[in-house]
Amino acid sequence: MVGFAADRPWGQGQLDQVIHPILFYTLCVLGGAGVWLALPRRRLTPQVAGALVAALASGLTLMFMGKNALEHLPNIYFYVFSFIALGAALRVITHPRPVYAALYFILTVVSTGGLFLVLSAEFMAFALIIVYAGAILITYLFVIMLATQAPEEGEIEVLTEYDTQAREPLAACVVGFLLLAVVTTMVFRGVPSLAVPLPVQPDALLVDMPRKVENVLRTNGLLQEGEVVLTDRTSGKPAIDVETGTILVGVVGEGEPRLITRGQWPEELHISNPENVGFNLLRDHPGTIEIAGVILLMAMLGAVVLSRKQVQLDEEAKQRHASKLAESTGVNVGGLQSPLTTGPHGAGGSGGGGSA
Amino acid sequence: MSWGISAIAQSGFPDPMHALTLAHYLLVSALMFVIGLIGFMTRRNLIIMFLCTELMFQAAGIAMVAFGRYHLDFTGQTFVIFVLTVAAAEAAMGLALVVLLFRRKESLDAEAWQDMKG
Repeated sequence: MVGFAADRPWGQGQLDQVIHPILFYTLCVLGGAGVWLALPRRRLTPQVAGALVAALASGLTLMFMGKNALEHLPNIYFYVFSFIALGAALRVITHPRPVYAALYFILTVVSTGGLFLVLSAEFMAFALIIVYAGAILITYLFVIMLATQAPEEGEIEVLTEYDTQAREPLAACVVGFLLLAVVTTMVFRGVPSLAVPLPVQPDALLVDMPRKVENVLRTNGLLQEGEVVLTDRTSGKPAIDVETGTILVGVVGEGEPRLITRGQWPEELHISNPENVGFNLLRDHPGTIEIAGVILLMAMLGAVVLSRKQVQLDEEAKQRHASKLAESTGVNVGGLQSPLTTGPHGAGGSGGGGSA
Repeated sequence: MSWGISAIAQSGFPDPMHALTLAHYLLVSALMFVIGLIGFMTRRNLIIMFLCTELMFQAAGIAMVAFGRYHLDFTGQTFVIFVLTVAAAEAAMGLALVVLLFRRKESLDAEAWQDMKG
């Protein structure tokens, strides 16, 4: 890190510490073109080719970034997981069938969880998979199935027009990748001059968890009967010194206390990721969790109130139903399959016609 | 550079991350955000549009966790929990609204509602 960007002024030339600017902008354009090609369109377009172009562009970007940072390449799993995540994300926005889009989104969530694992955020990785893939996406799938008309018997499922045709794909891709170019330019310029974080003591929280320390020591046979982790008389905290790696144990009020030094510490005497996150959440940001609770409660109430509401079909949909009904009764004279019964609230339409 | 399997899941923070490694994660996050944004602008199915906002939430989450990893701080992860909460709330409310809209028009097309344009 010596002389790394610190002595260079803000402006031209900082970007090339991460990636060459011209190369990067070319790849942005290429990626935008790829996504544009991959979006669903009325005409048959080379969707696969578009996806390949987009994948190539992002792959090349990562490769050229890596070329400048050979010493500091991320873990190989980073490449695997981000490839899957981005590919599935592209499929989410290009797949014409909503159910498949939702399933691809689950794939994105799972590989994002993988990225979190690589970033050693285990708790968040599994919380993400449980909450997103397990709960939110299931809600989505339910709604998709509620809000999609099943094809009638003997009829081939037709994809709806609004799923197969993108709205303003060119403008969206231009705007999106312009945004990407601008944002990443700012990020890449700033990143090399980020302050190097000070190393932290990974087990600092042990001071706050004397019970855990006692349990670990006891199961490893380092504590005798009646011995506990003693309290430091001056600070009033448990006598666990993470800096020097000493723990003062003894029987309260009698005998000589003895020291357990770091060399004797058992393997599992470490703070795990969930413990760290838990302490951070509940001790440093208690307000956050309160607000989160209020938000969830309001959302629940809101959803209940909304879904109790009676809704009438509007005029247009009623007409559509009527014409469809006339059509179907014209074709099969018996009128056994009334399309009215397929809608969730078909009775709101010009009901009764089919039973004649 | 660590290619071994043992490097994938280490408890706590093994060692500081270099800024250029952070840049990789931020690029992936930005890409995912832009894909979500493009999806939100181009798709006409209301449900897919909501799904695209969730994609953008994911991207924000990756950026937060990566920054937290860089600064050896857990606040990034804590705030992903918050993002998760907001995403869940948004999904519940948004999907309830989508179901209402669908019952009215029997269509998920966002453009079916363009008469609401002011």
